[in-house]
Amino acid sequence: MKAPAQAARAEPRAYRWTMPANWWTRNRHYFLYTVREFTALPMALWLLWLLYDIKSAGAGAANFQPPRSAAFIAFSAVCFLFATYHSYTFLKLAGVIMHVKVLDKTVPPRAIIITMFGLWALATVVIGAVLIGFAR
Amino acid sequence: MAEKTITIKATRFDPDKDSAPRLQSYDIPFTDEAMVVLDALNYIKAHVDGSLSYRWSCRMGICGSCGMMVNGTPKLSCSAFLRDYWPKPVTVQPLNNFPIIRDLVIDMEDFMHKLKSVQPWIIRKQELPLGAGEHRQTTAQIDEFKQFSQCINCMLCYSACPVYGLNNEFLGPAAIALARRYNLDSRDQGLTKRLPVIADSEGVWECSFVGECSVVCPKGVDPAKAIQQTKLDTTLRFTLPFGNRD
Amino acid sequence: MLVIGGGLAGIRAAIAAVEANPRITVGMVSKVYPMRSHTVSAEGGAAAVLRPEDSYETHAFDTIKGSDYLADQDVVEAFVREAPIEVIQMEHWGCPWSRDPDGKISARPFGGMTTWRTCFAADKTGFHMLHTVFQTSLKYEQIHRHDEVFVTKLLVEDERCIGVVAFDQRSGRFDAITAKATILATGGLGRIYAFTTNGNICTGDGMALAYRAGVGLKDMEMVQFHPTGLPFTGILITEAVRGEGGYLTNKNGDRFLKDYVPNKMELGPRDIISRAMITEFDAGRGFEGPHGKYMNLDVRHLGEEVIDRKLPFMRELGREFVGIDIVNEPIPVRPVMHYMMGGVDADISGATPLLGLYAAGECANVGLNGGNRLGSNSLSECLVFGAASGRAAAEHASTAKAVTANPVDAMLWDEARRVESAYLEKTGGDEKIGTIREEMQRDMDAGAGVFRTKEGLQKLTDQLGGLRERFERIKVEDSSRTFNTELTAALELDFMLEISQTIVASALAREESRGAHARKDFPERNDEKYLKHTVALSRGPEDPRPRLEYRDVRITNFKPQARVY
Repeated sequence: MKAPAQAARAEPRAYRWTMPANWWTRNRHYFLYTVREFTALPMALWLLWLLYDIKSAGAGAANFQPPRSAAFIAFSAVCFLFATYHSYTFLKLAGVIMHVKVLDKTVPPRAIIITMFGLWALATVVIGAVLIGFAR
Repeated sequence: MAEKTITIKATRFDPDKDSAPRLQSYDIPFTDEAMVVLDALNYIKAHVDGSLSYRWSCRMGICGSCGMMVNGTPKLSCSAFLRDYWPKPVTVQPLNNFPIIRDLVIDMEDFMHKLKSVQPWIIRKQELPLGAGEHRQTTAQIDEFKQFSQCINCMLCYSACPVYGLNNEFLGPAAIALARRYNLDSRDQGLTKRLPVIADSEGVWECSFVGECSVVCPKGVDPAKAIQQTKLDTTLRFTLPFGNRD
Repeated sequence: MLVIGGGLAGIRAAIAAVEANPRITVGMVSKVYPMRSHTVSAEGGAAAVLRPEDSYETHAFDTIKGSDYLADQDVVEAFVREAPIEVIQMEHWGCPWSRDPDGKISARPFGGMTTWRTCFAADKTGFHMLHTVFQTSLKYEQIHRHDEVFVTKLLVEDERCIGVVAFDQRSGRFDAITAKATILATGGLGRIYAFTTNGNICTGDGMALAYRAGVGLKDMEMVQFHPTGLPFTGILITEAVRGEGGYLTNKNGDRFLKDYVPNKMELGPRDIISRAMITEFDAGRGFEGPHGKYMNLDVRHLGEEVIDRKLPFMRELGREFVGIDIVNEPIPVRPVMHYMMGGVDADISGATPLLGLYAAGECANVGLNGGNRLGSNSLSECLVFGAASGRAAAEHASTAKAVTANPVDAMLWDEARRVESAYLEKTGGDEKIGTIREEMQRDMDAGAGVFRTKEGLQKLTDQLGGLRERFERIKVEDSSRTFNTELTAALELDFMLEISQTIVASALAREESRGAHARKDFPERNDEKYLKHTVALSRGPEDPRPRLEYRDVRITNFKPQARVY
């Protein structure tokens, strides 16, 4: 009588999944996410340049030449857009991330988002006023 | 009048015969506007090619068996209507980010281990005796965790998460959402027991908030929200004075 | 010990066993991952006496009257006492029961219940209960799960059940899993019918396994048709919709149930309402749709707030599968095969006549539901008898003789060869599995539906015989060992063809109308002759028709009366 074929059957090999290198181009959300994460890089470079500028300015007002080239202004504008985009997405998501309860009632997400944007606007005005004030 | 047809391209893979998955094309009659991708697969299996393998059961979006990639998006095949794709062909593939056992069937043992690791049961310091009746709980208290309790374990979120795709150690959206479901349940006292697993570098901190998990979730669980809220909660516990209470 | 099936009854049994005896190991064998078990689709609720104004006696009477007096009354009386304890146990395990303002577990009205005793978790009660027990079961190290393992045969030696032969779907490997006690908790058999609420996995496996091992199948003619299924898909619209106050209206806009169950209206028992709807269809008062006749189930008067709080899943289903918003439009519904009152012959502790074999949940017939089950009794039934059989099996296993390896290896060998040669190595054949299955389903819908006739049942017997012959000539296209779902489909069809014969034979022999079994040629109930359970026993593999025996119904406190609502 023939033996059952399964007598020496081992576990079959499953096909291993690998992420394709272009995964982030396959979906609009993935792409926007990658852009959002990427914004950190040019912003970091801009801030490093700022630190260098501050250091040079410390050496003496006479020698200090703030960068004025068109390339730098363009780069700064791009960084400014990136920073705004990153802040905007982050603040919008604050409504999701923060689970705040006041007197046993959950604060609705809209209220959190509006508060966050409000604080952002306030901080912008305050910091802007301080910097411009010191510049005078 | 010619019968309306639709083309289904389905992944075929038999580990004993194939070295890699391939797509096979089937043309089937599209006879009813209410037909879903699952109906198409069932038609193929019953009338065209009996060897096509896939999981399904309830056909009403509650058992979580039939998760597949439909035209590149993770979906429940019982809820993907053919009319939304016709007349273009529909490509049906096994869920991304998982090992493929056969055709459209993936290996979900990893999730089963991760589910157990978050201890998804009520943990109490002192069990209430049955004779004492139920724990009192208000509708408001249920609303705290209700959303996260809707998870049907369909795995679409793991499939959508690029972090999980790149790093299989990541605890993953559904497991963390279920951990939060229990952490927020007023009857549970097991938060400190679950923390080592969820507040781990492979737990919530591996998440970089892509957010695709919540986009594909068919039950509106919003696991991305669960993860980010857990990040905030665990941070506050760590940083605030007297935050690390039971 | 073993539990076959990972639904509510099976998991509850496993937990009860290890809580009764922490040193026991329980193997839980399921052909799907447990969260996929069809319990997950149950919606309405679980009945239990929890309120002071309720009483065990009324719950028992409602159940017995609902069963058209075919229920074994001692079983019902034990059940109503255990159900509240189980509901509290579920709550302790984390089940999110919906609550009253004072924080206690809420209850809603349900069909055939004289008071509000159906506890619910919004309208996804089965989903929440299954996930609660499954997730709770993960904390018991003694429960070993065998997921996606398909049982093909019960192992019987010296007139006792010593385990099962099963194959792992992933690797195709056959194994004998031996145990001193085995509990069947495999659920229903809805996929025998074409139009059913049941999922793909509900193929009566456990009933067929027991039947082939010589255990009787009790009251198989009692098939429940739920009044409100969505046309085309058969997706269940829960009775809770009527419990919350929904109206059933015909083509003329009438709440036609006033002519059938005037005192209960939409909250009458399921068998009477299904028959009422079919009668209205036959009289031309039903709506005509692209997928057959239907009635309107109207909840517009309940308002959006109530619907979103109590029936949110129904709103989702309406939107997704019918394209309607139930807040503004009525739901099209028609009677659909839903539940099997009949099943494996088991007693109050789940024990079957075969030593070492137990049964619980929908696959068993312990005598609770008789001729018709009341809505919301099934989820409670799974808990009560799952727990009871778990404890009984654990006790039996702790004192039973060990299982010896010798005959088991030979039996495993035989069974593995049987399946391999019949299916995996089969050549030739000209019949498709899908075609035979679809014909069986259509024939069952026509011949063993809500109303039955002698001619219809006799024709069905012949049709099933013909299908069985054609089944021997099926063509099996998938010879792979890895996750071969054509093999499982063939094995399931084999089970279904066998037990469908018990349904038809039992229905032919019961020449009366009782509960869900309605004979057009015998429209009255006949207590003198038929206050008995039908038990269908196999005559062996050569003869598809069962041998029928009859067993008296056990009456304790409630004498059979006319069943009027």
